[in-house]
Amino acid sequence: MTGENVFQKNYEVLICKELFAGWVEGLRDDFKLIGPVGDGVNAEFREIASLKEANLDYQSTMLPPGKAYLFKPLEEIVLFNAGPGGVAAEEPPIPVQKQVLIGVHACDTHAVFYLDKVFLGAFTDPFYKARRENTFIISLNCKTVTDLCFCHLIGTGPYLKAQSGYDMLLTDMGGEFLVELKSERSKNLFNVKGRPPEAGDWQKKDEMETRLLKSFKKDFKADGLRQVFLSRPGHPVLKETAEERCLSCANCVMVCPTCFCHDVYDETDLSLTRIKRMRRWDACQDYFFAQVHGGNFRSERQARLRQFVFHKLDYEGQFGLKGTVGCGRCIRWCPTGIDLTEIAEEMMK
Amino acid sequence: MRFFSPGDRKPRVGFFKFSCCTGCGFQLAYFQKSLEDTLKSFDFTFFRLASSSGTPEGPFDLALVEGAVTEPYQIIELKKIRANSAVLYAVGSCAITGGIPAIKAGVPEMEVQNKAYRTKLYGLTSLRPSVLGDYVEIDGSVRGCPPGERDLQEAMVSVLFHRKPEFAGYSVCVECKIKGNICVLVAEGLPCMGPVTNAGCGALCPSYHRACYSCFGLMGQANTAALKGKFRKLGLTEDEIERRFSLFDALETKK
Ligand code: SF4
Ligand code: SF4
Ligand code: SF4
Ligand code: SF4
Repeated sequence: MTGENVFQKNYEVLICKELFAGWVEGLRDDFKLIGPVGDGVNAEFREIASLKEANLDYQSTMLPPGKAYLFKPLEEIVLFNAGPGGVAAEEPPIPVQKQVLIGVHACDTHAVFYLDKVFLGAFTDPFYKARRENTFIISLNCKTVTDLCFCHLIGTGPYLKAQSGYDMLLTDMGGEFLVELKSERSKNLFNVKGRPPEAGDWQKKDEMETRLLKSFKKDFKADGLRQVFLSRPGHPVLKETAEERCLSCANCVMVCPTCFCHDVYDETDLSLTRIKRMRRWDACQDYFFAQVHGGNFRSERQARLRQFVFHKLDYEGQFGLKGTVGCGRCIRWCPTGIDLTEIAEEMMK
Repeated sequence: MRFFSPGDRKPRVGFFKFSCCTGCGFQLAYFQKSLEDTLKSFDFTFFRLASSSGTPEGPFDLALVEGAVTEPYQIIELKKIRANSAVLYAVGSCAITGGIPAIKAGVPEMEVQNKAYRTKLYGLTSLRPSVLGDYVEIDGSVRGCPPGERDLQEAMVSVLFHRKPEFAGYSVCVECKIKGNICVLVAEGLPCMGPVTNAGCGALCPSYHRACYSCFGLMGQANTAALKGKFRKLGLTEDEIERRFSLFDALETKK
């Protein structure tokens, strides 16, 4: 015994990147490893065998890691078997596969907290709950920001300040990672010894953050929007943008890490004995989203666009959080580049 | 609610074809995943591609009709089929929007005939193409070129259950995102028609790194002007844009 274990006391440690990669690889026996593969803003969270395949310098992904791996785009939620004796409902098995999401940016970590409010709030979704519990989240402070990022205006990045709700936080310090353990299970799981950070290391971290904060391009006033939205819901910028540019294609909603709407529908096979109840990501930009018996309460394109913009930038009353985490995905993946922050700015004028 | 149950007689299905490639019929004949169940649940009273026996006279519980109307005799047949069928679905783009047979829509028939045939064919009675709905009431459309197995299956099941079939009305982009394809329009500037095209194919082309060319037809809520604007920004000429939009929608674009 060597006496004091510094690391066990502090839950913060600097270790060289190779050691960290080795530790991650060791998780493979129990976890599916999922990390960012590819470059720039077109990276993609995929299953990987080791960190060698991942690119932790990625800037963004099209589909957000939390939503893609916790709230499946398409899944079977009930299976009905019809037979001579009647109809029996069968729930598909609750997902038990353990997974690690490696390199989740601050905005995307916050988006998971938002999804938690939806799926673990007033109603608990058993599939989401199981996946959430079986998912070990290793977050990562950003090293660069994109021209469309605005997390700094929302308070969701670029450095992650949350103290719980995820497992680990990484900061790239050059040759080393600063590893901060944020959950009990990470304290049990992370057994690599390194050097405890000193005042100089924290200072370096702060400086990197300050530098990063200066590199944001986007700037708009996110506060005070409520009043504008309430007083001018028919602002012409909505109509103009909707009619001239919005395709109602729903890409914005699909890529948004906090958009949680889904449709539930049945698929009957031709033997008429098996009916699968499916859940699929749905989108308020689609005309049929608001189609109900007797009519459609958002039949106009501008009404659908307004729904998205207001839900993301306002509606804090719903969960006590802003609907946006400032990741910029909806702007980037909109074929005509519609930008909710520009619409908000125009409305503020 | 009454629906066909195992004790009932099987619903009688007729499959008919007008001017088209017969791809929809093939798709039905090759119902890979459910051929056995289909035959167990339905009585194919008339389906030329599968059997030379059977009668086209009906009555049918369900008529599936593919192809555009481009000849006078087809109008008479179509009306007969309608009269003999409880439910009639237009199947495939040719029957629904005119599809590929309709690319001649903007050209005078004389010119088309001279181009297509070397000698004058005096017996030729080809017309400007029409869709089924121009001549008879249709109860629904199963989109695609050809439709996917899922939609064809849904059309048939809906008849058994006497309910409205559930078809997607949203864009191909929704399916594309569900598949997780990196968008070829945004990331690579390919002129993808997905944002205005009705879903149903499972975003087949973008999944193979190709731009969608709208074979399922425009969705009802399509904002074509906005996508044309985007294509202009990508550097497509007016002619190229018009070709992309008229390939499966010539009846509308060449009015
Ligand atoms: S609204 Fe846009 S910027 Fe905000 S979280 Fe969603 S995709 Fe990201
Ligand atoms: S991605 Fe853009 S064009 Fe498509 S629905 Fe959203 S805002 Fe409209
Ligand atoms: S590749 Fe085409 S279909 Fe897929 S999201 Fe992009 S525009 Fe839509
Ligand atoms: S992606 Fe477009 S062109 Fe390709 S099969 Fe689907 S609808 Fe047809």
